[in-house]
Amino acid sequence: MKFTRRDLLISTAGAAAGLVLSPVPWKLLSDASIWTQNFPWIPQPAHGPVGTKYSTCTLCEGGCGIRVRMAGKCPVGVVGVSAHPLTKGALCPLAFAAHQLNWHPRRLREVRHDGRAASWSEALAAFRKASSEGPIGIVDGRPGRAASSVFEAFTQKQQGSYQAVLSAESQALAPYADWSGVPVASLGYDMENARTVVSFGAPLLDGWGIPGRFTHLWADRAAGASDPQLRLIQIEPALSRTAARAWQWVPIRGGSETQLAAGLARVLLEERLVKSAGPMPHLTLDDAAAQTGLSAGGIRDLARTMAENRPVVAIAADGNPAIAALNDLLGAVAAPGGIVRIKEDTTPHVPDAASSPLRAMLLDSTVPWEFAAQADAEVFRFAAWDGGGNTAGWLLPAPGFLEELTDVPTPPTSARETYSVAMNLAAPATEVQSAAQFLLNVDATLPAVDKVIHARCEGIFRARQGTVYGEQTLALSKIDSAQHLEEQLRKGAVWMGDPPRDGRFRCELKEWPTGVGVSPAASWATAWALPVLPALATKLYQESTLRELPVGRQA
Amino acid sequence: MNVRYGFVIDLDRCTGCGACMVACAAENNVPPAAPRATPRTGLTPMLVRKVSNGMEGAARREAFFPIACMHCGNETPCVAVCPQQAVEVDKATGIVVQMPQRCLGCRYCMTACPYHARYFNWWDPAWPAGMEKSLNPGVAVRMRGVVEKCNMCPARLHSAKEKAAAAGKKEIDPADYIPACAKACPTGAITFGNLADKNDSVFTAAHSSSAFRLLARLGTEPKVYYKSQEPWVRALAERDSDHATEAQHG
Repeated sequence: MKFTRRDLLISTAGAAAGLVLSPVPWKLLSDASIWTQNFPWIPQPAHGPVGTKYSTCTLCEGGCGIRVRMAGKCPVGVVGVSAHPLTKGALCPLAFAAHQLNWHPRRLREVRHDGRAASWSEALAAFRKASSEGPIGIVDGRPGRAASSVFEAFTQKQQGSYQAVLSAESQALAPYADWSGVPVASLGYDMENARTVVSFGAPLLDGWGIPGRFTHLWADRAAGASDPQLRLIQIEPALSRTAARAWQWVPIRGGSETQLAAGLARVLLEERLVKSAGPMPHLTLDDAAAQTGLSAGGIRDLARTMAENRPVVAIAADGNPAIAALNDLLGAVAAPGGIVRIKEDTTPHVPDAASSPLRAMLLDSTVPWEFAAQADAEVFRFAAWDGGGNTAGWLLPAPGFLEELTDVPTPPTSARETYSVAMNLAAPATEVQSAAQFLLNVDATLPAVDKVIHARCEGIFRARQGTVYGEQTLALSKIDSAQHLEEQLRKGAVWMGDPPRDGRFRCELKEWPTGVGVSPAASWATAWALPVLPALATKLYQESTLRELPVGRQA
Repeated sequence: MNVRYGFVIDLDRCTGCGACMVACAAENNVPPAAPRATPRTGLTPMLVRKVSNGMEGAARREAFFPIACMHCGNETPCVAVCPQQAVEVDKATGIVVQMPQRCLGCRYCMTACPYHARYFNWWDPAWPAGMEKSLNPGVAVRMRGVVEKCNMCPARLHSAKEKAAAAGKKEIDPADYIPACAKACPTGAITFGNLADKNDSVFTAAHSSSAFRLLARLGTEPKVYYKSQEPWVRALAERDSDHATEAQHG
């Protein structure tokens, strides 16, 4: 049989028609589509059983409750916990991508000495040698933790020095501590009972204190209302996020907060708008107006608004004593809606001073990267991420996010005492040690972090007061043992204490303070002590114009 | 039950923190910016824009507009122009669904969208080495060359459906399906629910006197409603984005 040109055309056309009518091309198209989504260079999510763990965020001191989605042993998502008594489900924007931080390109993966690779044993030997030659200074970015107890125990034994770096929020409470003798860690703001909150540049709606606490209050009582239950007055040179949402924005000249506080105090005293007879500021109202850029009438109106809408509390962005004095004048100290005492602890922490110059300094990973250590001391710097520019001394890889067992004491600004535990949910991708673990390797007689946490849980249990917020909300008196309490806390619960029976304290203020603040106004990432940002922060500053990249940070 | 999922966003409660943007990206495995990405070429299925009343000094006021796909319910522009049928309105939920598997990357839909809520994957999705282990295992990563947008977190909807099915229920529990942006909003500015259910809080909010929709004159019936007591904010709703204050389009 001869195969003709006609046969070729017919069979070709038939084959084409048959192919179109068959599922083959559609199947091929579908397979190609799936194949192109699985190119080797297309990232594949983690595999493993998906579950949920509860914990506390340790990125800053805020102590927000988090629910972590795990795929196997990898955290794959972070959200807030709506049952958390302080944060009520809110988190800062960076926390939602915090689980990606452990894979940041700047993650420290090896010990470095003077910019070169070294080993843990070399670092340990160098530290042992230094501690035998002179006093060691330990710097802690978050005092009050179990690790802080380890640091203090080490420096006491070694006759070194322990130094805490306070956050801007804690610094703002320092004047009250100086004047009353009540430690900073025992003071907080009772904003839930305030009718007016006057912020002198504090970013109350942008990560200040405990992210979510004030934003919830503001959203429930103030947002969008012309006559709100809670008046937020923002005193700030620029129209910040907080100023944009405030009931009233008072634009003043940068750095004139002290003068405005003095002007307000003068009006309050001269017009007898307050009961107390505090010291009169030396600054006249006209001088205050000239220096702040406001009119005298504007300052007078502001003072009257504050006096008429009490309870009122003024919040400084830093440790400005004039703003603390204004609170004292307004009767906002040791009063509902003002500065309150959250526990009856009367022992102020006095930093241990070394008797001679420090031989070496150990900086905990919670210490901001910008911290300047003593120039002639050998520096042992713990950090999970390299902030760059540090080529001198030792750089020691510390646990990253959710890689370390730690506890979270009461966050600064909280009106109630709290305690929670953050478990090491994720396995470190490299060999890491916390500063506390490192010290335990130097001196095995020091208390271990988990033993300190255990002792603290026993202490809370013995006090028999407060409430535990976990899978269930339980009064502590309903919990049958300290072990049960510790189990609950290790599963992500948070204990919140009752208000102290005696919350009284007094500030002795003999003359109006003239000092200025100790730190610049906080920005959105001020509380972010880490030198890096989560990779997805690019959504905020590179892929949109919502924010600017914080100085010195890298996503 | 008739279901029409939608958002009601109270602009008076929005502080512009950006938590919704980051939470959206983390939930949906949207990659971080490529080195050359800009607000114009980035991927922000949820984008918060800053707007102002145009005044200066103490009279200046600012507000924040979270903008995602509006899930248009009428003559959906992107559906109408897509040559690949890569976009469709889900009849069961009202969600405008983008299917990257079908998309050929022509970007007609981006041109057609009056809200500029669609984004193009200009680069291969890339995370720093090892970071892919932190991705959401319930969501496939999209490839370079396709358009993407807000799909109202479909992985969460599927999960809620699975949970309901396992419990022998036909309908999901509303508490089980809340998109990442609404869940993340620290002030409760973004609320989500069934706009067709008169008992749902979003139905009430969407029909309040202060509620409005963007470019309502186009008749696309968006399923994203906004609320504000500020007249100058409401006035922005009918302005084209080219004239909408100093906000940059992403």
